[in-house]
Amino acid sequence: MKIWNWEGFWGYFTNLYLLEGALWTVGLTVSTLFFGAIIGLALAVMRLSNRRWVQRIAETYVWMFRGTPLLVQLIIIYTGLPQLGLVKLDVIESAIIGLALNEAAYLSEILRGGILSVPYGQSEAARALGLNPFQIFAKVVMPQALRVIIPPLGNSVNGLLKTTSIASVISMEELLRRGQILMQQKFQVLEVFMVVAIIYLFMTTCWDYVQRHIEAYYGRAYGGLADRQLARDDR
Amino acid sequence: MARMIDRRGLLQAGAAVSTLALTATTISTGARAQAKIAPPNLIKAGTLIMSINPTLPPMQFVDDKGELKGMRVELANECAKKLGLTPEYIRTEFATMIPGLAAKRWDMINTGIFFTEERSKLMYMVPYERAAISFLSARGNPLGFKTIEDLAGHKISVELGGIEEKRTREVADIVAKKGLKPVTVMTFNNFGEAFQALRAGQSDAATCIDATAKFQENRGDFTRAISGVFPQTACFAFANKPLADAVVGALNDLRKDGYYDKLLDQYGVLKIEEKTFAISGPGPA
Repeated sequence: MKIWNWEGFWGYFTNLYLLEGALWTVGLTVSTLFFGAIIGLALAVMRLSNRRWVQRIAETYVWMFRGTPLLVQLIIIYTGLPQLGLVKLDVIESAIIGLALNEAAYLSEILRGGILSVPYGQSEAARALGLNPFQIFAKVVMPQALRVIIPPLGNSVNGLLKTTSIASVISMEELLRRGQILMQQKFQVLEVFMVVAIIYLFMTTCWDYVQRHIEAYYGRAYGGLADRQLARDDR
Repeated sequence: MARMIDRRGLLQAGAAVSTLALTATTISTGARAQAKIAPPNLIKAGTLIMSINPTLPPMQFVDDKGELKGMRVELANECAKKLGLTPEYIRTEFATMIPGLAAKRWDMINTGIFFTEERSKLMYMVPYERAAISFLSARGNPLGFKTIEDLAGHKISVELGGIEEKRTREVADIVAKKGLKPVTVMTFNNFGEAFQALRAGQSDAATCIDATAKFQENRGDFTRAISGVFPQTACFAFANKPLADAVVGALNDLRKDGYYDKLLDQYGVLKIEEKTFAISGPGPA
């Protein structure tokens, strides 16, 4: 076997089967984030509730889904549930549900941390001004919490882009699995996996760019512009 | 007088000990000398390192004590013994085996790897077994599979990378060319997971070789709906020619002993058609 095959390498870059896999990876990531964020936010709010039983439910969920491997969760959802006669979900449904439930547990902790970082005085002042709990949460706490949430959340998204490859264990043909399948055809192992790595890198770089802009938006009150504004006012 | 006896006793004891030591050294050097092949034709001196995917009873599997069992394990162990080597197994998925052989992680692939033209150009393949492909269905064959065409419009789960996957995709092509409903091929990391998908009803059929399918049928989990299709030869595969030749010699010896015939008959596996073993195909360029 030769050391490196440039023809094979460039060939895999333009391989539609492989590029389609990248689309599947992005699709899985976006769906997981959408459902995972909703469930995660619900869990975070439940954790911060005054009622102990509400807290307990959220705590147990997070404990279970963070405490077991994603691979095991996917296999249980995809093959365990039908075997027990409960419900039969197809590959895509199982992958999205499994990834979303798992990611929600991790996201809930990030969201909870962000919410806790907002000084309690903010909520107190808002209550003194007559805002109801929903308004306090949506208009006062969350916008400030988001600035702290974005970096670890961006980290999660970055990780999630690659974690979706675990769905291959239930036969989902996302990017990495397609790379493995192509590898079996001509055994140009290094060439295929380098292309797969570069495609992943491209996707995470795109996300980095988006994340930077989101961070700038939510941090605009704290950035250089605000400091310059304050300095001008003091003169 | 007592002192003289003691000295003689000591001398005799000393002689006995040194004879024992000499014999022991001779025996151990004798055992080392027996190893018919050594580095650089082997990765580790005195050891035949083989890759195996032990998820295919009765050919290769792990019993409940965690020990490797199966026809292929027994045959390879006997070959290693003939060459004076200790067998060592690395359990890994099929997809990693051919690259691993090139990367010198193991001396030999022992997983019933099937002979193909492309593979015979990448490694030295020594056919030793003939196997055909079967399609397992849920117990009782509820969908009534009898021929390959019956698989049209259904989902087939299979292990990634092996000949079984290739043949399953060929079935999909055959079905497509006949204008029937398309076959969905679902690839899993290993046969265990592919069978699990069938058990859960996520797939309608699972592909594997005849012997494994029979075993699964006997266990009562599934029915061997279709069998005996795409017969082909299974091989040991090597990256190193002297080692391949040595194992060919060992296999021929085992045939002369009658061990090979007895073992394959015991497992109900077809023997190769040729009378002697040999490397098949050109090998790496």
